[in-house]
Amino acid sequence: MQIIGPDLLVFGVDDVPACHEFLTAYGLNAQDYTPETGGYFMSLDGTGLEIRRRDDPSLPPALKTGNMLRLQVLGVVDDAALEAVAKELGRDRQVLRLADGTLRCQDDQGFELSFRVTTRKALDMPAEKVNAPGDYGRKPNQIGVSEDMPAKPRTLSHIVLFVPDIDQAVGFYRDRLGFRITDTLTGAGPFLRPQANPDHHTHFFIRTPPYMQGCEHLAFHMGGPTELMMAGSRMMKQGFESFWGPGRHKFGSNWFWYFKSPLGCNVEFDADMDTHDDDWAPREAPMGPEASQAFLLQWREKWAPTGGPKKD
Amino acid sequence: MHLDDLPDGGARGFDVPGLRCKVIVVRRGDQVFGWRDLCPHYAGGTPMAWKRDAYLNGAGTHIACHAHGAWFDMETGACVQGPCLGKRLTRVPLRVDETGTVSTLP
Repeated sequence: MQIIGPDLLVFGVDDVPACHEFLTAYGLNAQDYTPETGGYFMSLDGTGLEIRRRDDPSLPPALKTGNMLRLQVLGVVDDAALEAVAKELGRDRQVLRLADGTLRCQDDQGFELSFRVTTRKALDMPAEKVNAPGDYGRKPNQIGVSEDMPAKPRTLSHIVLFVPDIDQAVGFYRDRLGFRITDTLTGAGPFLRPQANPDHHTHFFIRTPPYMQGCEHLAFHMGGPTELMMAGSRMMKQGFESFWGPGRHKFGSNWFWYFKSPLGCNVEFDADMDTHDDDWAPREAPMGPEASQAFLLQWREKWAPTGGPKKD
Repeated sequence: MHLDDLPDGGARGFDVPGLRCKVIVVRRGDQVFGWRDLCPHYAGGTPMAWKRDAYLNGAGTHIACHAHGAWFDMETGACVQGPCLGKRLTRVPLRVDETGTVSTLP
């Protein structure tokens, strides 16, 4: 099944202008936005978020838990891939074909799904380059960091879902849609990647009671750890609140920095995630602080060893 | 803090000496309620605003944790929706004197 991953995540929120303030500071570009109706918030390759009012009649029904996620739009490589999804899921559920050519259905736990031929653009941008003795990534005179360097989210990376039944989730995404399990945090759940995306994960499931079902966090890929640190530091300077990070995860190797948001879930910057193919042998580790990260840091206001740090 | 510093229905976070977390003060009319800025979803608690002083949900009816969407009753601290259903915030007793000055009770 040639699925690439999330093209668009749709939320029905309580406070549209607050989401605009947060998501534009995070680095997404607002499109077709009004404070009354909401709009789109796009990363550089055209994947992103759609933010509407909770009571917007155009949205699919809300989850019973109050979680604000309303729809995941998954991109596939081409029309044949879309037909393959329609045929597979049409075996046991209603799959609507909407006028815009997209498919609409629900997964086995009531998450609303849409499938479309991806609209993401191929990016032609260099990754962050690193200099090291023996391997110089940057040319002479090419500098590594500057105060005003761009640090914009490049593409939607992954979504993490609180799910009441891990077996049911795996049964749907792995056995029906062909996702591969890359690694598992036992006690929480599995990381999955769809077949047409080498990223370590586009989905991660965490087992929770039914009253928590929803989006735990979502993340966009940055161009490298320095962009992630710059983007997060700019958020902190503006008074936004970190939840976890910066740090580097073990499974996936991705750098992370999570921020609380008016979407009712965390919104993460990530960078430098591992990629895999079908030769990969999945790992397992018990969920906990050691398995979750190689290291964890905490932001503080800039200081220099001349005047001493500012008192917290 | 003075009562006049907080609009009716508003919320603010304050640093209090000796406490490792902020104290959230919410105002309902002439009443104020104080809560530790610690969401009980995870053991030990985590701070809840999405930016400085942004503690309420969009409609301003509940204290909200913006990590995973828990809603808390402003007056009782009980979680009414989200991950910590059945748990509650930790109250910080407050006193308002005749001049309207708000302080924590020892």
